[in-house]
Amino acid sequence: MKPAWLASLLGVFAMRPARPAEPVELASTAAQGAARGYTPKLLLSPVNPLFIWFSLLITLLANFLPWGKTPFVPDFLALALVFWNVHQPRRAGIGAAFVFGLLMDVHDGALFGEHALAYTLLSYGAISLHRRILWFPLGSQMLYVLPLLLVAQFASMLIRLWVGGAFPGWMFFAESGIGALLWPFASWLLLAPQRRSVERGEARPL
Amino acid sequence: MEYGPPPLFNQGVSARARLAFFSFLAVALIVVDSRAGLLETIRVGVGVVLYPLEQLMLLPRDVSGRVIDFFSTVSLLQKENEQLRRAAVERAQQLAQAQTLDMENERLRKLLGARERLGNNAQLAQILYESRDRFSRKLVLDRGGQSDIVAGSPVLDETGVVGQVTRVFPLTAEVTLLTDKDQTIPVQVMRNGLRGVAYGGIESGTMELRFLASNADIVNGDLLVTSGIDAVYPSGLPVATVRSVERTAKDQFARVVLAPVAGVHSHAHLLVLQLDRSQIPPRPEERKREAEARKGSRK
Repeated sequence: MKPAWLASLLGVFAMRPARPAEPVELASTAAQGAARGYTPKLLLSPVNPLFIWFSLLITLLANFLPWGKTPFVPDFLALALVFWNVHQPRRAGIGAAFVFGLLMDVHDGALFGEHALAYTLLSYGAISLHRRILWFPLGSQMLYVLPLLLVAQFASMLIRLWVGGAFPGWMFFAESGIGALLWPFASWLLLAPQRRSVERGEARPL
Repeated sequence: MEYGPPPLFNQGVSARARLAFFSFLAVALIVVDSRAGLLETIRVGVGVVLYPLEQLMLLPRDVSGRVIDFFSTVSLLQKENEQLRRAAVERAQQLAQAQTLDMENERLRKLLGARERLGNNAQLAQILYESRDRFSRKLVLDRGGQSDIVAGSPVLDETGVVGQVTRVFPLTAEVTLLTDKDQTIPVQVMRNGLRGVAYGGIESGTMELRFLASNADIVNGDLLVTSGIDAVYPSGLPVATVRSVERTAKDQFARVVLAPVAGVHSHAHLLVLQLDRSQIPPRPEERKREAEARKGSRK
């Protein structure tokens, strides 16, 4: 038998909770939580670092699809970077955002460092908000993600206008709106591996 | 961040420090790239690494295109064939005339000992994709430095000038379209030989003719062709037609909006002409330096 304090300490370290300050009684009594307006949250299994890099690579490839000037196509990579910086700020940080930004610059034929700067700002914003964002339900989280994406787009637009690019029109910013609307879907998809149960049984096929 | 964390929870360098470092690095890169252009080797290196990934992501589109092609009906092909045959007949006469003119021209040029006109060495290249960058108009072609494409070469389709190669990777090349804001091309009105410089337009998909006096003889529908005085674009290639001419009393220049002749969105293949650098005059600074050198030698 371990003492209670040891068990709780071990529990904290084993789970690496994305929400470190989550009160215990929330999970224990769902009815109480619901009465306060919270929904009970699942305990997530630890993230696989390989999955983080894999998902970033996949979103990079999604940006490489020949979209051309199709309007309303969101920046998938930016969304994934926000997601991982909010959920795992210690694993996918500002450095990763910077490097992926450089890759996007080369692909787009944009100015070297333009996306890098935008993603750096994005990543910093996400990291500084990460403790707050996850307390909200998904719908409200979108309202936090939208300005982050907008700031990144605005930064890259300022740089291009400074260097002498053409103004792309206000619909340019609609991409961020679409990106923010995709946030619940991204959360569902990217958290799916962590939602799986550790013990696979007949009752829990996944 | 106001208090120092105990060592157990030390998270390394703070996010703010990292933000400062990386954003400074990014701004430095931007400045160096936009002012000096020293980063081309790094860019080419990264581009080569990304090439397989980019090709991989073009696959879905190419495969689906091929499947659609496969199922495209015979009647469509027949119709297209008919059109092409009719066009060929229509052009046969022009072609014959052009050939005789070409031969005559060649003989005369040889007589004069003139240099061969550029434009004979052209390469066919395929459009891979249009760049997603919203601030510029660029295409990426499937030929690059390996196929002896050099930056600065003019790019055409069968109707006229499309743009210019602005960046060359080993296996791909970036073409800046004429409609890009920073792209310029020397032109001449076909009807009366009025010369000017066409710039990419502010509105997307247009060009404009700047610094043309308000009383200049230019009307809607005029065809503009390359004037050839820059030695980059061969002369006489169709560039654009005049879409609108605005003359206001307060401006001394007319505002001329052009519509490019070449339909960039409708073609998969483009022609890259070889650039003859020997015909391009040196840059002004070099000339000045040369003049100074001459002065120095005279002393």
